[in-house]
Amino acid sequence: MKNILIAITILFSAFVFIQCTEDEVTSTENGTLKLEFDNVVGTSNLQLNTSNFAFENALGEDFKVTWLSYYISEVRLKKEDGTYFVDPVAFDGSKGFYLIDEADAESHVIELKDVPPGNYTEVTFKIGVDASQMTQGAQTGPLDLSIGLFWSWNSGYIFFAMEGASPVSTAEGNALVYHVGGYKTLDGSPNLVNNIKEITLTFNGDNPIVNADEDPQVHIIMDLKKFFNGPAGNISFASNSMRHSPASCVDVAQNMAAAFNVDHIHQ
Amino acid sequence: MTCQKASHLTFYLTMRVILVVWLALLILSCKEQEVSNPYQFVIPDNFPESKYSFQNNPITKEGFELGRMLFYDPILSRDETVSCSSCHQQHVAFADPLHVLSIGVDERVGTRNALPIQNMAFQQFFFWDGGVNHLDFVPINAITNPVEFDESVGDIVDKLNASSFYKNQFNKAFGEKEVTSQKVLHALSQFMVLMISANSRYDKYIRNEGELLSTQEQRGLLLFKQNCANCHSTDLFTNGDFLNNGLDTDENLDEGRARITEFNGDKGKFKVPSLRNVALTDPYMHDGRFNTLKQVLQHYSNGIKTSSTVDNSLFTNNSPGLSLTEDEQNDIIAFLQTLTDESFIKDKRFSAPLMPKQ
Repeated sequence: MKNILIAITILFSAFVFIQCTEDEVTSTENGTLKLEFDNVVGTSNLQLNTSNFAFENALGEDFKVTWLSYYISEVRLKKEDGTYFVDPVAFDGSKGFYLIDEADAESHVIELKDVPPGNYTEVTFKIGVDASQMTQGAQTGPLDLSIGLFWSWNSGYIFFAMEGASPVSTAEGNALVYHVGGYKTLDGSPNLVNNIKEITLTFNGDNPIVNADEDPQVHIIMDLKKFFNGPAGNISFASNSMRHSPASCVDVAQNMAAAFNVDHIHQ
Repeated sequence: MTCQKASHLTFYLTMRVILVVWLALLILSCKEQEVSNPYQFVIPDNFPESKYSFQNNPITKEGFELGRMLFYDPILSRDETVSCSSCHQQHVAFADPLHVLSIGVDERVGTRNALPIQNMAFQQFFFWDGGVNHLDFVPINAITNPVEFDESVGDIVDKLNASSFYKNQFNKAFGEKEVTSQKVLHALSQFMVLMISANSRYDKYIRNEGELLSTQEQRGLLLFKQNCANCHSTDLFTNGDFLNNGLDTDENLDEGRARITEFNGDKGKFKVPSLRNVALTDPYMHDGRFNTLKQVLQHYSNGIKTSSTVDNSLFTNNSPGLSLTEDEQNDIIAFLQTLTDESFIKDKRFSAPLMPKQ
């Protein structure tokens, strides 16, 4: 018995060793690509906690923003030759998940490391945290529950959170609260919705070139005005100041997916 | 699937096979010398597969013991007055012996009767409305609910990080002194997954371990199979579904499962609870409206109220109720009492730990 165990342990270790060596060889000339998420409201830069209602939605309703955070995950880059770089995702949330928090400037830039050299034509990512991660249990890093972007009563991450105020909101304190989440689907539950949105943004021919010496940065704009006015319609603060559950978020989730676009590339 | 992905998949599958063989041999070799380890998760012979993600949170004695301390420590509530054990007491299979509805901080009254904590590793959905779908996330619901602990996860982590006692315990359990929410939840899960109740007289009878049921209990078992096991199925005594068991008419239906599914067709539906230790876990139903099993059996027999979502299996010849005679009800109750697991409610592994003075 002992001999068999030793033999298998050696075989097992050898296998791991070989796999590691292979990875190292291919990664020597890899580079870094940065994705910057710049949050704006139409033509204005987004600022938190403005003293007045500094912004306006498409319906002309004034508002201000006190909190804006969202999760970006499962990032992929497509190369000119059609192959993909897939940003690795860890089972415990420590890799591959990014919390973009307007209040924390450092969080606005995602650094994709170990990207193979080449010209890249588009980026694909999910906004939110998908069902597969939920089955892994308690998480760390950006998915640490201390951060509080989580529905405890209906287990799941809040993918995109915007809070603020508008004089036309009928909620207490003229509040605006939009919490987008929901990934559960079950047979026989027609209103359980998957609000996870995977979007692909092309670089429009202005392809970032990744190699060991270049450090390109893709400037992505998230326009909050589009979150309130997009393919799923125009959201009025006067009649719709709160969204707190998966089914109630279906329209804003669709708008959310259309609020991101690539503005330019810094090579 | 990309080529790279496919090769990774093959790699992981190969690795998995090797690991499984390796572990199997390891286990075999262990079995030669070792007796049972009280911190090992063992699925009872009459139970289904576990649903818990053990691969991300392997049980250790130290992790389990830490979870046990946290379970009994009111530090998890905002004003440190309420612990998990306030509403989940061992002598009644970790249900609440005192309160019809759970009581939280500042004597706030909740909306539900506390469910027992047992056989958690085998459940897919938790709480009466099934809103939580992983055991690790169960404590979060109680912690953040304003009528329960009214506390934030971040504050708990800060409080524990401020305690040198707890930092040492986390170090023993996870090899790092720093407390994180993941470690808190993992420790609590390690404690809860081992809370297996599978040693009742019924279990010993069904596993042919020398236990016999009386003739009344056997009659009760037969009646139970005919009338109740449609929903209270398997040896977990639940089919895991959400159903309306005829407690109220349409105008009084509780939101129930519809809170999660946002579907009116789920109003008045609740998780079909396990019936293990049911003789201990009174009061009954989501709102604790029945005090005795007799009342419960009377309800199913001739108290079913019809509504748009009531379950069809609760009708006999198109009339509501299962029409059980008094004797039949008593037989079923006699059977249900065989589901009481004395060894579970007396198991010292799950009792309040002795906490050193801090």
